[in-house]
Amino acid sequence: MHARIFLCIIALVLAAPIAARAEEAIAPDIGVRVVRDYVSPTLRAFSQTSGRLKGTLDDLCRDPSPSALEAARIAFAETVGNWGHVSVLRFGPLAEGNRFERVFFWPDPRGVTLRQVQGLLGSKDALPADIAAESVALQGLPALDYVLFGTGAEKLGAAGGDERRCRYGAAVAGNVAGIAEALIGAWGEGTAFHAAFTAPAADRDPYRSVGEVAAEIVKAAGTALQFTRNAELLPALGDAPQKANGRRAPFWRSRQSFAFAAAQLDGVKQLVEAAGFVEGPSDTVNGYGRGVVFDVGHARDALLAVAGKPEEAFAEEEDRARIAYAAVAMEGAKHMLNGELSGALGLVMGFNALDGD
Amino acid sequence: MRSTEIDRRTFLALCGAATLWPAGAAAGEAGEALFLGARLNGGAFEAAVIDAAGRDRLVLPLEARGHSFAIDAPRRRAVAFARSPGRFAVAFSIDGGNEPVAFAPPPERHFYGHGVFTPDGRLLLATENDYAGERGVTGLYDTTDGYRRIGEFATGGIGPHEVILLRDGRTLCVANGGILTHPDYERVKLNLPTMKPSLAYVDSETGDLLEQVDLAPELHQLSIRHLVLDGRGLVWFGAQYQGEDGARPPLVGRHRRGRKIELFAGPQATLKALDNYVGSVSTDLAGDIVATSSPRGGIAVFWDAATGACLGERVLKDGCGLAPLGARRLLETSGRGAIVRTGPDGGTESIRREAPDAPAWDNHLRRI
Repeated sequence: MHARIFLCIIALVLAAPIAARAEEAIAPDIGVRVVRDYVSPTLRAFSQTSGRLKGTLDDLCRDPSPSALEAARIAFAETVGNWGHVSVLRFGPLAEGNRFERVFFWPDPRGVTLRQVQGLLGSKDALPADIAAESVALQGLPALDYVLFGTGAEKLGAAGGDERRCRYGAAVAGNVAGIAEALIGAWGEGTAFHAAFTAPAADRDPYRSVGEVAAEIVKAAGTALQFTRNAELLPALGDAPQKANGRRAPFWRSRQSFAFAAAQLDGVKQLVEAAGFVEGPSDTVNGYGRGVVFDVGHARDALLAVAGKPEEAFAEEEDRARIAYAAVAMEGAKHMLNGELSGALGLVMGFNALDGD
Repeated sequence: MRSTEIDRRTFLALCGAATLWPAGAAAGEAGEALFLGARLNGGAFEAAVIDAAGRDRLVLPLEARGHSFAIDAPRRRAVAFARSPGRFAVAFSIDGGNEPVAFAPPPERHFYGHGVFTPDGRLLLATENDYAGERGVTGLYDTTDGYRRIGEFATGGIGPHEVILLRDGRTLCVANGGILTHPDYERVKLNLPTMKPSLAYVDSETGDLLEQVDLAPELHQLSIRHLVLDGRGLVWFGAQYQGEDGARPPLVGRHRRGRKIELFAGPQATLKALDNYVGSVSTDLAGDIVATSSPRGGIAVFWDAATGACLGERVLKDGCGLAPLGARRLLETSGRGAIVRTGPDGGTESIRREAPDAPAWDNHLRRI
C-alpha cells in the first residue's frame, strides 16, 4: 500500500511546527488562482462538450444511423468526464437551485431515474415542454446514460430511429448544456459570488477572508473524495465479492463508471494544485499537499487500470483489489486533507461542525 | 452485563467500563447539578457525567462516537445513543450503581442519536431510520425487559432527529429533519431537492399522529433538527439549512400547538455568524431564555422565550453542547475541550480552557 507508506513518511518528515499564521500559509490570491486555473477551464470544457452532446443528439434525431448514435455516445462519455471535474466544485453556483442534482441525481439507491425514465419513454403523453421543470431524476446525465445505453437504445441508430427517446435525450442534453452555461454565468466576473471568492472581504458574502475561501476549497475536495468513495464505489463493491453489484455504480451502462470516478479524482488533484496547496507559500502545506496529490493520483491510476466492465469488475478479484486500493488511498487523502493540511493552513475543522448532527 | 443484538465492540467497550468508574460513583449530593455529554477523550469515545465545575463524576466507554441521551432523572439512569447512522445504545445508572445494558435497533433500522423516556420510566423511545421504507420511526423499548424493542411508531416524515416529550407527559414532538440517508451511503443526503422537514406531534401511547406542521415551501431545505421546551411549554427548534450558500434563512423557530411555526432571524450579522447551522438548543433553568449554538460559527445565540427577541451572542470556538445552569445561565461545552458558563448577560466564564489534549465534547450536553 504505497499510499499508507507515503502517509507515514510524510507524518515523520513534516512533524515540524505548523505555519505560525494562517495568512502566511494561504496564497493571498487563492480565489483568483482557483478560478483562473481550475474553475474557468473546467466549466468551459463542460459547456463545450455538453453543447456538442446536444448537437450530436439533434443530428441523431434528424438522421438516425449507427454512426450518429456512436457520435452521440462518444460525446456523452466526454461530457461525463468533464462533469467529473465540475462535480468537485459542489458549493456556490453548483449548490444553487439543485444544479448538482439536476445534472447528476446520485446516489439513487431505489432506481428512481430508471423508473421515471422508463415511465416517460413508455408513456403516450406528449414529452414535457420544459425538462428543467420535471423531476431532477429526469434531467441529467444518469437519465441520458439510460437513453443512450439502456435497453432499446440501439433503436436510436436504426433506420427510422426512436423519435420519442431521441427527442427526450436531446432535451436532457440541452438541459445539461444550459446548466453548464448558467454555471459559467454564476461564476463570472461581476457576480457577487465571484467577487467574494476572488476578493473576500468582511462585507462580502459568503466569504469574508482568504481563510474562508481556503476552507471552502478544502471542504469541496474532501467532500468529492468522500462522495466518490462512499456513494459511487463502495456500494457497488460490497463487503465481499458475492455482494458486489456493478449496477449500483453510476454510468455502468455506458461503462464510464471508472473513467468518471477517475475524472473526479483528477479534479480533486487539479483543485488542490490550483489552490496553491502544493507549490504555495508554505513548505509545510506543500508537503501535505503533495501527500494528498500522491494518494489521489494513485487512486485515480488504480481506477483507470480496472480492466473489466463495471457490471463485472466489482466482483472480479483483480479489479476488486484495484478498487479497494483506490478506496483506501482516497480515505488516506481525505484524512490528510481534513487533518494535517487543514491544520497547516490554520483551518480548524470543528469536531462538532460536521454536517447533519 | 446483558445485551441484545449488540456486537462484540460494544461488549468489549463496556467490559472496560467498571474500571473507569470512580469509587462511590457519581452519586453527588441531592439536588446537585450534574450534566451528561458524549466526547472523544484521548482517542476513546465516552459518555461522561460532569458536575457544574466540569469535574468528571462518571465515565462510560462507548464503542464509537456517541451523540445525545435519554435521561430518566427520577430513576437516576440514562441511555447513550450512537451518532447517526450508529446502531448501539447503552443504558446505565447515573450513579454507577448498576451494570450497563447495551441494546441495538433491529437490522433494518439505525439510531439518529436522540430519545426520551416516558415519565413512568417503562418505555424508552428513540428516533430511528427505516431506511428501506424511507421513513422515520420512533422505536419503543421496554425498560423493564432489558430494553427489548416492542414496536415502533411512524414519525410522519423522513430523518427524525431529536424527540422530546411535552408537558402532558404523553405527547411526543419529533423534529423530522427531512433528509433521506441510507447507511450504504454513510451520511450522504439523498433527497435535497425534495426534502420536506416538519414538526410532528405523536401520541406516545397510541402512535397517532396528532398534528404535523411544515415550513413554507421556499424553506423546504431548512432541516428542523433540535428541540427544547421553554418555560411555558412551547416548542423551540434549531435548524440547519441545506440550500444555496448565500441564502440566510432564519434558523430558530417556535411552535404552539394548533398554530403556524414562528421563525426568528435575529440581526443579520448574527444570522450570518450562525453559518446556516444550529447544532444544539437549550434553555436556561427557568425556560425564559432559549440558547442556540453553532459550532460552525463558533457562537451561541440567546433568545427571549416570551418575545423571540435576540438577546445577543457569545463566542466559543466549536462550542455546541448547551444545558441549563441557572437563571439566564447555561453550561456550554466545545469540541476543543472548553467548558464555560454562558448567557445573555455578562461575560462567558471559563471553567475548563480548550486544550489539544482535552476531551472533545460532542454536540449535546444534558442536565440530569
